[in-house]
Amino acid sequence: MASQLSHADIQELLGAYAIDAVDADEATLIDAHVAECPRCRGEVAEHREAATLLSFTGAAAPEDLWSRIAAGLEETPPPLRIPAQLPVRRPAKRLFAAVAAIAAAVIGVLGVQVVRQSERIDRLAAISDQRGLDQAAAAAAVTPGARTVRLQSNDGTRVVDAVVLPDGHGYLVRADLPSLGRDRTYQLWGVIGAQTISLGVLGDHPTITAFRAAGPLAALAISSEHAGGAVAPTTSPIVQGFLTTT
Amino acid sequence: MTTDWSQVSDAALVVAIGRWREDALAEAYRRHGGAVYALARRVVRDTGFAEEVVQEVFVRLWTTPDRFDPDRGSLRSWLLAQAHGRTIDRLRSESARRLREERDAQRTADAGYDVEREAWDLAVADRVKDVMADLPDGERQAIELAYFDGYTYREVAKLLDTPEGTIKSRIRAGLKHMRADLIDTETGQPWHHS
Repeated sequence: MASQLSHADIQELLGAYAIDAVDADEATLIDAHVAECPRCRGEVAEHREAATLLSFTGAAAPEDLWSRIAAGLEETPPPLRIPAQLPVRRPAKRLFAAVAAIAAAVIGVLGVQVVRQSERIDRLAAISDQRGLDQAAAAAAVTPGARTVRLQSNDGTRVVDAVVLPDGHGYLVRADLPSLGRDRTYQLWGVIGAQTISLGVLGDHPTITAFRAAGPLAALAISSEHAGGAVAPTTSPIVQGFLTTT
Repeated sequence: MTTDWSQVSDAALVVAIGRWREDALAEAYRRHGGAVYALARRVVRDTGFAEEVVQEVFVRLWTTPDRFDPDRGSLRSWLLAQAHGRTIDRLRSESARRLREERDAQRTADAGYDVEREAWDLAVADRVKDVMADLPDGERQAIELAYFDGYTYREVAKLLDTPEGTIKSRIRAGLKHMRADLIDTETGQPWHHS
């Protein structure tokens, strides 16, 4: 019916669109327009806020419903949620932007405290030189203020554990990743503020690895890249995880 | 880490949900589950279906919290928009014709089901009622037929024997009036939390 709509036509329909009162073909056209037009998107959001008030009754949801919802959640193994929204065109960039946005929010909300512990780090660096990376990683894991992060794949089958010290030094302490083959490498990325920064090229079969982030890390991710690595992720993360504050 | 979720903003709740905090989802449900349920139940007079919608909406929040963008509105309006869309789909599906007829027949009997409200809630609900009452009749009627009864603006136009252009303008203008009236008052939105 509506094969084409002008901007003015669409504007007129925004109220009806916001409350699901347009035909399906119009909805499709307006969906596409709203995705590109911030002004119309804003108006739709305002209409929906107004409609929210229409729904207001003050009544609570049925008491037993939450327990059913919660039980349903347990039956579903938690998939990693960011990749659930894999964008079609430029996967890696937008995906990492989403990770960065959430990570930034985590920092903002929870106020991650970064405390300098340079003496301890120096000692750890010395241990690393003398007795090997694995002992340094083990020491890092029990350092006060160390944060652990589990990086997981979407289906939960790939797991990498990392420890991050307050000054940004970190270690991958367990990496359960399959061998990639000679022409590919795993690459570690850190989300610092709104930026995604390479923390190291890990090779095709990573084991315990040290890295250092030059800022408050909010998330870590590992992607598969061409051997030699990339300046920015070119594929979706294989595993990723957010840092906890405890 | 023990968190008093009742003191946390909606936006922060969603971040926590993104970190698999089930207690944060429970708090989101406590805040908004009632409204989602009431909306679904009002549109489709079917308790079982209303519960399915609530479940679906909150499970979706759990699995894809990143789809909620706090810059585009409150969590409640996002949850309600999801619930409304899902409910309207159901209402418009062929199999629901009968349901709609039954619901229409039942409307009078069900008119006052939302009676249990706390004092504050009552004040807000009264204010909403006042604002709705202040809307020009044509705007109120068009919005109610579309939002609660699931008619498209074209269907509303036919029902009221009014040009389609008039109906879409009334819906848009009515929503703008409501927003201006309600959001400018002291009543505020307790669920906004951000």
